[in-house]
Amino acid sequence: MRQGVVYINTNFSSVSGFDAERDSMRTCLLSPLPSLPFVSSQPVPLPFPMAHGTTTLAFVFQGGVLAAADTRSSCSGLVACPASQKILPIHSHLVGTTSGTSADCALWKRILSRELRLYQLRNGRRLSTSGAAKLLSHMLHPFKGTELCVAATLCGWDDHTSLSGPSLFYVCSDGSRLQGTLFSVGSGSPYAYSILDQGVQWGLTVAEATSIAREAVYRATHRDAYSGNCVDVYHVTSQGWTRRTREDLKEEYYREKESRRQTHEAEKKML
Amino acid sequence: MFIKQFHTAERKIEFLHGTTTLAFKFEHGVIVAVDSRATAGSYIASQTVKKVIEINPYLLGTMAGGAADCSFWERLLARQCRIYELRNKERISVAAASKLLANMVYQYKGMGLSMGTMVCGWDKRGPGLYYVDSEGNRVCGDLFAVGSGSMYAYGVMDSGLRQDLTVDEACELGRRAIYQATFRDAYSGGQVNLYHVHSGGWTRISQEDVLMLHQKYRDQA
Repeated sequence: MRQGVVYINTNFSSVSGFDAERDSMRTCLLSPLPSLPFVSSQPVPLPFPMAHGTTTLAFVFQGGVLAAADTRSSCSGLVACPASQKILPIHSHLVGTTSGTSADCALWKRILSRELRLYQLRNGRRLSTSGAAKLLSHMLHPFKGTELCVAATLCGWDDHTSLSGPSLFYVCSDGSRLQGTLFSVGSGSPYAYSILDQGVQWGLTVAEATSIAREAVYRATHRDAYSGNCVDVYHVTSQGWTRRTREDLKEEYYREKESRRQTHEAEKKML
Repeated sequence: MFIKQFHTAERKIEFLHGTTTLAFKFEHGVIVAVDSRATAGSYIASQTVKKVIEINPYLLGTMAGGAADCSFWERLLARQCRIYELRNKERISVAAASKLLANMVYQYKGMGLSMGTMVCGWDKRGPGLYYVDSEGNRVCGDLFAVGSGSMYAYGVMDSGLRQDLTVDEACELGRRAIYQATFRDAYSGGQVNLYHVHSGGWTRISQEDVLMLHQKYRDQA
């Protein structure tokens, strides 16, 4: 046990491959957490259950589907992995954002990829995003009521179907399957939603859409403790998915701080 | 939120912080923006609640938590501020006013008070903004949002806030932040009440219905 580091006895299934250290991490000390502004002495019911320590988002626009996510995997108070991959490509024209338990998401994405490939081989065409979402939802259904936790958005481009074009579905292990044009999942999603609601429209250019997605994830990581580190942006078009280089958000933070400091000094000089 | 829920003796009264209130400092003072919806569980009790309490002509307090608690304690604070003015022949500072409020409610800590308020004003040291709640927290800051819709408001405010905003830009930022929160949060809505605190005291800038704002922003886009 390292000195000065407090561990919390949790279910470590959130991070795959952590089993070796599991035995050394059993302790029951919980450091007193600073109280949040809106915590009162009696339990206040939150407007929605806050789970899934992450920020992922996806939206549809004229240039396809854009998906963005942070890269922090947390385990109660510990940042288990600062460079995890929350957007997993399923096939050439479909990516999925993941939220919930990392191990569950990784496994079910692999199972989904396998099933979609089998479908393609048997039927000679790719399954639509709607079909993939339905397949995933039905595969997760037997586990409803267990501790399986997967909240994914499937972002794809459909060809050769009656409704071709960009498509976005939200699938959750509690049984929801929703089609939409904008989703954000995770504990940082409220912060991201307000930025996205302001700026997302159908007519955005790719550059504008990327910028809004980055900004939304950045603001969420700024305020939410369970989101942070870097941002990944994936773009799905009729040619397939492309990925932007992973960007460390701490650079963005320092750039913004610097530019604010400069405007502040420029003002002081003017006065 | 503002209607007492009668439970058996074992269960405590529940207060839902179903609201969105925000305040931020900028070069020309403090902007205070609030929604106006009151909910009791899933019932919307009122769409026209005044969540900004005018303590005196240069101090404002916002309301989140229990309406009775907020308005009572802030009225008591107004009385204490006036007494201070009469005794010391000068206006009370924002820091002192917020400290008075914090000390008053601290005596009742653990007894079920529910209040999350921001004390905003302008004093000798310039714009002042303090967050005070019934847990005993009292923090000075440049930017606060309180309530169930606060997270939505933070996203908008963080991205738009700069020190060199003009008064109109700052008002629009506050208005937009509350609007975005009411868009996503079921417990916030009604109208956006906007105040600006400057060296001459506070001014009520506007009261706009959220649905009108929805039309306006949709047409702008």
